[in-house]
Amino acid sequence: MGNKKILIVDDDPDVTLGLHLRLRANHYDTYFAADAPSSVAEARKYSPDLIVLDLGLPSGDGYLVMESLKKAPSLAHIPIIVVSARDLAANEERALSAGAKAFLQKPVDNAVLLAIIRRELSGPHPGPK
Amino acid sequence: MKEKSIQVVLVEDNAADTRLFREMFSKEPPGSFILIHFSRLHDAEIHFAKGGVDIVLLDMGLPDAHGIDTVRRARAAAPNVPMIVLTGLDDEELAAEAMKEGAQDYLIKGQIENRALPRALRHAVERHRMQTEADLVQIHQLQYKDEFLSHVSHELRSPLFAIYQFVTIILDKLAGEVNPEQCRYLEIILKNVKQLQSMIDDLLEVTRAQAGKMTIELQSASASDAIDYVVNTLHGAATAKQIALTSSIESRLPSVWADPKRIRQILIILVDNAIKFTPPDGMVHVRARLSEDPKFVTLEVSDSGSGISPEMTEKIFDRLFQLSDPSASARKGLGLGLHICKELVTRQGGQIWVTSAPGQGAVFSVTLPVFSLAHIIAPAFCGYDCEQEPVSLVVIEIGSRAGWLSDEVREEQSHRIRDSVQKCLFSDKDVLLPKMNFTGALELIFILAMTGKSGADAISKRILKRLDGGEHIQYADLTVAISSISLEGVGRNATEPADHHLERVAARIREIMYEEVLSRMAKSG
Repeated sequence: MGNKKILIVDDDPDVTLGLHLRLRANHYDTYFAADAPSSVAEARKYSPDLIVLDLGLPSGDGYLVMESLKKAPSLAHIPIIVVSARDLAANEERALSAGAKAFLQKPVDNAVLLAIIRRELSGPHPGPK
Repeated sequence: MKEKSIQVVLVEDNAADTRLFREMFSKEPPGSFILIHFSRLHDAEIHFAKGGVDIVLLDMGLPDAHGIDTVRRARAAAPNVPMIVLTGLDDEELAAEAMKEGAQDYLIKGQIENRALPRALRHAVERHRMQTEADLVQIHQLQYKDEFLSHVSHELRSPLFAIYQFVTIILDKLAGEVNPEQCRYLEIILKNVKQLQSMIDDLLEVTRAQAGKMTIELQSASASDAIDYVVNTLHGAATAKQIALTSSIESRLPSVWADPKRIRQILIILVDNAIKFTPPDGMVHVRARLSEDPKFVTLEVSDSGSGISPEMTEKIFDRLFQLSDPSASARKGLGLGLHICKELVTRQGGQIWVTSAPGQGAVFSVTLPVFSLAHIIAPAFCGYDCEQEPVSLVVIEIGSRAGWLSDEVREEQSHRIRDSVQKCLFSDKDVLLPKMNFTGALELIFILAMTGKSGADAISKRILKRLDGGEHIQYADLTVAISSISLEGVGRNATEPADHHLERVAARIREIMYEEVLSRMAKSG
């Protein structure tokens, strides 16, 4: 079985590179998007197993991305983990009700991020294969 | 430039005095003053409610109000309007009192110069306008400062995350070998990144507290769980300084009515501080016990550090206070920790204080209210119309499919289920009631919900859905059944004293819970 695929959506190239190196070291294949529209396009193209999503994005935001993903039958099942610098109190509940599996506030501890990714990827997914 | 006319309300019952005042304004340019006269305070109060008044001239002896009471009533009816009181010759003491009550100035009848009064009024109105503007500017500045702080703190998080990511990438050798010396230096960067992060967290916390946005979710919580968590979390930091971090918890300590996350936060700040201010080979001890007043639990963090001088024991909880202690060489952050602690403790109905003597260590004490059913019921039933909004108990029964489970497994699984259930509740409307101490294979979880039958059904569905979703829960060998009991009538007829009423309601709910547990135990054999 090949590596699991993770789409990283963040407009900060440094954060993206950091996430890529950390995830690659943990045997995940990574794909990237830096704005709202391209993140949906990349998700269609690569059908990732999981999406790490920032909230503040050019041309739309993370919430818009989640809305678009949830509307697309082939993408709605992909677990989303929000990793954002935005306020926890104001965004956690909103992100979870928009369909995210977790809201992690930057800076995120590596161990916490990896544990949540592992948790989301280990469960059976009700969506298409 | 045409000046806006000044509306003066004269409240005066003496006709001769009133005539005199009118004459004083007669020489002013037309339209510069509008004088409105009332003989009774009551009529003036009605007029104040309409607004548009620039200044009030108030006689302190009226047919329907006397002395200082006149000022109080007028201030209450026109709180933002400058007021000048009119007194007799020998009433200066009363005038001084009126100023304390908020009058801007006083004039002694018979000593008012004709041309002086309009000028004095103009000045008073102008002075008041400037003061109001200054107040507004200050409020805006404070708001701006809070927004600014919040914005900056959030903006700092992304670059900090990038620094953290790459330091750990190098440190974990994801980018090649690193020698031990380099590792040591990277650890120093990492330590400082974490310090910076906690400063940002503190800043945001204080900004939130200032704006009244600090969230506290009161519930039945275990102080000893919080202590265990904190001792585990800070064990490493203590050991690194060769400090013995220990704890003791009084047996049969009751649950507290507090936010478990916030108790942990308070203890982390106190224990972290204690470790910082205690020299190597010292000790830090965390203790939980019932207070002298059995309505509270006391948490104590004591250390063998340098102590705090008596005159500092109050100030230490102020915002931005830092001990200028030469023996404490470690950097101490923003000095917000204890201030946050105090905010958190007082907002949960407790108190915080420190007892200490220099050189003899310090003991920080925090009290939190003991959990009691009345606590939850108070907001639910006080001034609350049960005819309008019914109350239900939702009962979740957790049985075992595989027969008898080991205590450990059952405890762990029920803990997970309780955790999931908690997430399905509205923190302002539903309350997870404390466990009833029954042993056996059966476990019941009770939720007090301010809702009727259909609402209780909705809660049940929500919980089942979450459990079915299998989120963090393995309950292959468990059976879960949910039902609801309507508590119709329990909270009604609140004519008796509130205390008695609450006690009765709490007792009735306990009774229902008890009966429910017994009947289910009988059924399950």
